[in-house]
Parts: sequence; structure tokens; C-alpha cells
Amino acid sequence: MESIETEVLVVGGGATGLGVARDAAMRGFATVLVERKDLAEGTTGRYHGLLHSGGRYAVKDPRAARECAAENAILRRVAADSIEDTGGLFVTTPWDDVTFGDRFLAGCADTGVGVEEIDVADALRREPAVNAGIRRAFLVADASMDAWKLVWACARSAEQHGARILTYRRVVEVLRAADTVAGVVVVDSRSDEEMTIHARMTVNATGAWAGQLAALAGCRPVEVVPGKGIMIAMNHRIVNTVVNRCTMPSDGDIIVPIRTVSVVGTTDSPVADPDQLEVTQAEVDHMLDEGEKLVPGFRHARALRVWAGARPLFGARPPGDDDTRDITRAHALIDHAERDGIGGFVTITGGKATTFRLMAEETVDLVCRALDAGGPRPCRTAVEALPDSEPGAYYSVGSRLARREAHLLDDQLVCECELVSRQTLEEAVERRPTANLDDVRRALRLGMGPCQGGFCTYRATGIFHRLERLDQVTANTALLDFLQERWKGVHPILYGDQLRQARLDDWIYQGLMDVEHLPAVAAAAIGSVA
Amino acid sequence: MSGEGEIVVIGVGLAGLVAALRLAEGGRRVRVLAKGVGSTHLSGATVDVLGYAPFRVRSPAATLPEFAVANPHHPYALMGTAVVDDAVTWLKGRLSNPRYVGDLRRNFLLPTALGVAKPTAVAPQTMAVGDLTHGGCFVIVGLPGLKDFYPALVAGNLGSTVGIAGEAIEARAVDVDLTLDGRVDVGPLAYARRLDDPAFRAQLAARLHGRLGADDMVGLPAVLGLTDAEQAWEELEARLERPVFEIPTLPPSVPGVRLYGALSGALHRLGVSVTIGGEVLGAETHGGRVTGVHTETANGVRFHAAAGVVLATGGWAAGGLEMDSHWVVREPVLGLPVTGIPGGGRRFLPGYFDHHPLASTGVAVEGSLRPVDGDGRVVFTNVRVAGATLAGAEPWKEKSGDGLSLSTGYHAAMSMLAEED
Ligand SMILES: Cc1cc2nc3c(=O)[nH]c(=O)nc-3n(C[C@H](O)[C@H](O)[C@H](O)COP(=O)(O)OP(=O)(O)OC[C@H]3O[C@@H](n4cnc5c(N)ncnc54)[C@H](O)[C@@H]3O)c2cc1C
Repeated sequence: MESIETEVLVVGGGATGLGVARDAAMRGFATVLVERKDLAEGTTGRYHGLLHSGGRYAVKDPRAARECAAENAILRRVAADSIEDTGGLFVTTPWDDVTFGDRFLAGCADTGVGVEEIDVADALRREPAVNAGIRRAFLVADASMDAWKLVWACARSAEQHGARILTYRRVVEVLRAADTVAGVVVVDSRSDEEMTIHARMTVNATGAWAGQLAALAGCRPVEVVPGKGIMIAMNHRIVNTVVNRCTMPSDGDIIVPIRTVSVVGTTDSPVADPDQLEVTQAEVDHMLDEGEKLVPGFRHARALRVWAGARPLFGARPPGDDDTRDITRAHALIDHAERDGIGGFVTITGGKATTFRLMAEETVDLVCRALDAGGPRPCRTAVEALPDSEPGAYYSVGSRLARREAHLLDDQLVCECELVSRQTLEEAVERRPTANLDDVRRALRLGMGPCQGGFCTYRATGIFHRLERLDQVTANTALLDFLQERWKGVHPILYGDQLRQARLDDWIYQGLMDVEHLPAVAAAAIGSVA
Repeated sequence: MSGEGEIVVIGVGLAGLVAALRLAEGGRRVRVLAKGVGSTHLSGATVDVLGYAPFRVRSPAATLPEFAVANPHHPYALMGTAVVDDAVTWLKGRLSNPRYVGDLRRNFLLPTALGVAKPTAVAPQTMAVGDLTHGGCFVIVGLPGLKDFYPALVAGNLGSTVGIAGEAIEARAVDVDLTLDGRVDVGPLAYARRLDDPAFRAQLAARLHGRLGADDMVGLPAVLGLTDAEQAWEELEARLERPVFEIPTLPPSVPGVRLYGALSGALHRLGVSVTIGGEVLGAETHGGRVTGVHTETANGVRFHAAAGVVLATGGWAAGGLEMDSHWVVREPVLGLPVTGIPGGGRRFLPGYFDHHPLASTGVAVEGSLRPVDGDGRVVFTNVRVAGATLAGAEPWKEKSGDGLSLSTGYHAAMSMLAEED
């Protein structure tokens, strides 16, 4: 069994884990990060995409509001390349209490959230699709943040500072030496090989899974309630500004423009297992009804896909309460030495994607103290920009098209919906020799547009196979997995044009290509075909 | 008979084309109205009659009777399976460039763009040559810049396939460096147009020269000419001195465009008016009959009186069936009853290849393809429904798509013609 040693081991490859790994590496610690799947495959890759201004929490959760406001300003400086500066609106719809706006303004003032009440007419000029019946409108610094870009930029930076990022490694055992955590055993989910990682400090950054890892370490229970939320991506930019309802946080009250789509969300209900997130019909209907309130005609737009994420909500579950929204959105940093008498182990969970940097800073401060790092090692992540990021240089919805247009005649377009070129695809494959089709799909947003992979599923498989990166069995299996993965996101919202598209894709893959009878597929894939 | 009123055929996919042509041949005045071009431009243009039931079907003729018994609501069962044979014979008589070969006695096994051996009854002879039934040696050719065909993927899968008696299939891929003026992003139609040019065909043959083994048959993406495929194919076979065949690519489908051209050309010659971009918005009805339809034109809404209507609107994929965001299903053109709508909100199951409750939802008909309501009563006596809008089939799974459209389009026309006598 392979065995390695490090100073700091981070478990969890979401925003929090990558933030910790980068910060620790920048402060000179030998650092290793392990993630059971690919980076950002947990909650971070399934969130709503909103860089909070803090407005959402201004009334309800002042601490979270304050932290969001401060981090929003910092991330705009250091992570601009992952941000689209859409701005945000809070609007009072006919269903909302007009006086809440006053509490909202007061809350923003108390928590340092920048806000300006504007004329309803100005708001509607800015966002003509929004319900014309709104009675008040407030402008805030919300923005749209690309989680994949962010996480990968952190990973690159961490690696530049000497960290090792190991994906597809699941922690199966936490090693204990008396009352100290001494490291972990991970299993490589592709080769089934085990590996031991000895570490002086293990950071549990597994988000909604934090309770599971803490249990492996033999700690007292870490009360993390996975709070399920669903989101639906609608075709087109129905709005270009983040639009929130000016009311106490509730279901389906935010629409976030992300790249070429608009995403409505979300819900919040406690679940037992963050890996089992089923989307129900009732939830879909609920989101569409709420979307309709913010943007009349919402139901006529084309729903592209639906997905769910699990919030890591820290704190005891309020007895008899089914709504997890009352748990604070601020984060929790647990020093298990202090709490449970178990050294070498800390848990960082809760919080928001927006506050990932702050969470990392506090965590690594604690690590410094615990490891007695010999003098102060100051945190630099609030001032040192991520690779390829320049303060104020946000991406825009047209960025991809602009890049693509420069190469219209010398590069092939593999995914027309998301403007992914062949060169981009091949480079992504080269960059990460161990990447599979699914990793690349997520990293490039391949197949995430209106046709949901109708064309690019076949093309990407063909290109991967041709690069001799996939043998026949793997190629066929990857193709089937791709189809299944796409189906998972669309079947609960198949109506209107998307149903039509799905049937067209059936004709292409089943009618034209007879994909069900591929001769060589892995046993697991045959199972899903039968 | 020709003095009678006009029949309006709605839809210009295979079912609509066939119904219109057969009616026109039968002496009826016909008008074709369609929102856009239909399934022909997407499908491989092979006539798949029945490929899986659910085992792989060797002989559609032998299997269809028992298939009809097992699936009494399937259009094949309702019409009677003899119709299928008549329709196939009729169609083959109308296609000459390329000619269509095969019949219901046995399915070919033709390679798809994934290298799967797909059972199909009748195919253009430019494709049928690639029959895998008895194994063989195949070279699959890739064209540079063509992103809708991956020869190595095809060859790899063919190599894991065997003929029906276990005969070996050997396959390998070769790329030829014959670009379209250096273009790196080319669709199938662009190559097809260029291969109408004999000089370009000669270049293709020259690039393959010396790269083929003695027994190799040559499989190309289906781009061998748009206007004169028969000539292009014969010439390549002659130059390469061996069998050459086409394999359908991702859409747009060159063989489908050819098929559309052949049938719409025949309609044109019979003086049938085909309007594309004329979406039918609704109908006027009187006494259990449709008396005419309204279409959208640039000049406002227009009325077409109709003695009869063939509804060939292509099912879900083409807008012939619709479901809105409140999960309400309807047939939007004539407002016909839709059957097989699953209850309890379970329209689709989580596995892509599962048997989805909504799959065979559609318009129910009686034996002459007139639409019926839940009690089996005919809704409009002068309407026939054909193609993918019909209930009771899962053509993309059965591999019966074009067979179903062909035979129901044909039967719709025949039953209308018979009624006038
Ligand atoms: C519906 C929804 C909407 C949201 N919207 C927003 C928003 O708009 N703005 C915002 O700022 N925040 C939002 N959030 C919150 C935000 O997404 C999360 O707080 C944040 O992404 C959590 O990041 P994380 O790194 O802590 O957890 P995760 O991203 O979940 O990372 C934890 C990782 O640990 C891995 N892991 C678990 N167990 C193991 C193991 N045994 N071994 C190895 N790895 C393991 C998991 O695979 C996972 O990748 C939303 C959350 C939800 C659910």
C-alpha cells in the first residue's frame, strides 16, 4: 500500500476544501487534498451560483449578512475571473409585504450591505421581464459566480504553491494514535487501490458529509443537517440581474442569470443522506409557480434541467421543524482537541460558497496555532488574486462567444449550445490525463445547453476514443453514462420544447444509432440498459 | 373523383409525403401543409419495419403476426400487417436514385454511426451493401473536418460484433486527407454536395488506393452525393473495384434529404402544392367532419377547405403532440383525444432506457386510421392519422420508425381512396 506524509491534509474538494488547501499551501504548509469524486462534485458544483451581497440575510441572519458583504468585496478583487458582475435586485412583488422593505433597508445598514432603493420604473427598465406589479425595488451587489472556475483556479494556485490535489480518493478510515488523528486511508475509486496519508493535521471540509467523516474519526457527533434544495435552469437570460424577492427567505424566490441560462431556486428540506437527493414533481411545480410570480410567463420558457444540492447546515435540528431555513447560514469551525479531546483534527462546515475564503482563513489560522507554526504566518488570500484573475476583470455572458469567434475558421465546434470547440476539448483532456468524459463534460459545460447533449455526446465520445484515451468498452460505457447523466437532469422537467428535444434525442441515439445494442459495454452499464 | 374536394395532408415527414403521393396517384386533389421539414432530414432513411420485439427480429414477415397479437393497440395490429408489405413494395417502386432494396422476409444488419448492427428491412442499395449478416472485412473511412462520424468508433464496435451464424467481422478505420478546401468544421451536406462532382470522387478514390486489403469492403459516412447518389456510388465501386457502402451520420441526414427530394419531386410532378412554413392553427368542423383548416401565413390566417385530412404531424419530436408546464397533454392541430396518458404524475422513470409510461402515448385510431375517443367512437369520419402521432408504438425502440410512418401514411391514403368508391 502506498503511503505518503504531509503536514496538512484536507478532506473534501469543494470550495471550502480548495480554499483551505490554497491558503495552507500559501502559508508554507506541505498540503494534500483528497476528494472522493471530481472537484466541485459535492454541493459546490450544485449550488445556485449566487455571490451574495448579504442582502438575503440582512434581516434574518445578521452575522451571515455581514460576512457575505465583506467577502463579496474581497472576491470581486481576487476572483473576478470567476464572477459575472450582474448586480442584484430585491423586488417587492404583489405577494410580499411592502413594509418589509423598511426592515430590509435597516438590516442592510446594520450589517454593512450596500443597498440603494430605486424607482420601480428604473428597475423595470433594467429588467423588463420582471413582474410589472412590483411595488418597491432595491439594488445590491449580488453577482453570478462560476463554481467550477473558482474551484479550479484555487486548485491551480494551491498546486503552484506545492500542494497535491488527489481526486477520486475517498476516505474510508481515519487513523488514530491514542487521542490524536494521525491521517487517513483513502481508496482510489478507479483502481480500488488503497493509500495511507499521514498528516499532522487533518481538516474535515466535507460539507454536508462532515458528520460522516467526524464519525469515522470517532468524535462526538457533528450535527450537520443536509438541507436539500432544488434549482431549475431555464433557457436564455430571462433576466440579466440577480432578482430576489424582498421578503423573508423562502422557496423559489431568487432567479440567477448564469452564462446563457437563468436559474430559479430554491427549496430547503432536511434529508437523511446527502447522496440521495430526489427531485419531486411537487417541488418542480412549486419552483415554476414561484418563478411565475417574479417573471410572468416563466412557465412558457424552456426548462433545460433540474438538479439538487445539499446544504451543510450546522446546528441541532429545531424539534418538529421541517424547514431548515432557520438554521444560521454562518459557518462552524470545530477544534476537536478542544471539544472532544481529539487532536490533529478540525472540522469546517456550514457557511456559503460566498464565504469560502473566510472559512479557509479561520481554519488555517487554527491550524497554525495547533501546529505551533513558529511565528505568525499571515493569510494572503484576501489580497493575492487567483491565477488568471485581475481585479475588476469579470467575465461576461459573451466571453465564450468572443473567444470562439476568433477561431471560427480554424477550429471545430463540438457543442454548439455551449460553444465548446474541439481544441478546447482536446486541451482539457491533455491537461488532466486521468480525466474521464464526465469530468470534462462538467469542466467545459459540454452538453449542458438546450439540446442536452443531443449532438455532442456522440462527438465527444468519438473524439475521446480517437485520442486513444478510451478503449472500446470504456468509450461505449462512457457514452451510455453520459446519456444517463443527462436523463437524470431532464426527466423531472420534461414538458414543452424540452420534451420535444428529448424525443428527438431518442430518435438520434436509439432510432438512428441503436445505442441500446452496443456490443461491448461494461457490466454496470448493461445493467442500466436492461 | 378528381372533381371532389381537396384532401389536406398536414405534415411533410415520411408519413405525410407517402399519404400525399399515394392520394395524388389515386387521383385525388391534395394539398400538403407543414410547419417545417420533417423526420426525413433526421432519420437514416432506411425503412426499419421491425427490428426488436423485444429480441432481435430476423424476419419481419414471420414476426409481425405474433407481434400484432402481443401488441393489439399497435398501429401494425390495427391496420393488419399485410399493409406493411404493400406499402414497402409501393415505395420501392418510387425510388430510383438511389434504389431501395430488401423486403420483409429478412432484415439486413446495417452498421450505425456507433458501429452497432441495426436490423432494417429495406434500405438504399448504397447502404445495404454494408450488411453484416454474414460477417466480412470492412474498412471504415473518415473524412477530415466531418464531426458527425467517427470511423474508429464504428470499426471498434463492428470488430466486437459477429454475423448471425457467428461469422467473424473484421473492421479497421482509415482517415483520408481530403479536406473541403481546408475547412475544419464540415457538416454531412457540405461533403455530399461536393461528392456530386466526379472530380472530387476521383480524388477520394485516389486517396484510398493502395490502402485496402483484397477482401475489404469500404464503409463511408453517408455523404456520397446529394443529387446523383446512384452514380456516385457506382463510380466509387468501379474505381475501388470492391463493394462500397454508406453509413448514416448524425443529422442532417444526407440519405434523408435524398428521400425527401425523391418523394417531394414526385408530388411536384403530380401538381400537388406543398407549403412549408404553413403552420396549421386549427380546424373548422361540422357534423363529425373536418371541413377545413386554418393556417398561419405572412398575410394573416388563411382558410383551406378540406374534403378530408391526413394528420401526419410527427408526434412529440415534431410538435404533433404537446405537453405544457402543467403537464396537460394535447394534440394541438385538431384537438383529438390523446390516449395512454399515465396517471399519478409518473410520466418518466429515472433510468434512460427504462420503459417510460409516457412512451406510447398518442392518438388512438381504428383499423382505417380514423381517430377514436376513449370509448372507441370515431371522432371525425374524414380524418386519418399517420406516423409518430399515433398511440401504441415505441418506434425508436422497436426500430420501426420509417416502417410505421410509411405503412400508416400508405394505409391512410388507401382507406380514403377506398371510401370514395
Ligand atoms: C440548493 C443550494 C443553493 C445554494 N446557493 C448558494 C448560493 O447561491 N450562494 C452561496 O454562496 N452559497 C450557496 N449555497 C451554499 C454553498 O453551495 C455551500 O455552502 C458550499 O458550496 C459548500 O462547500 P463545501 O466545500 O463546504 O462543501 P462541498 O462542495 O459539498 O464539498 C465537500 C466535498 O467533500 C467530499 N467528500 C465527502 N465525503 C468524503 C470522503 N469520505 N472522502 C473524500 N471526500 C469526501 C464531497 O464529495 C464533496 O465534494 C447553496 C447550497 C445549496 C444546497
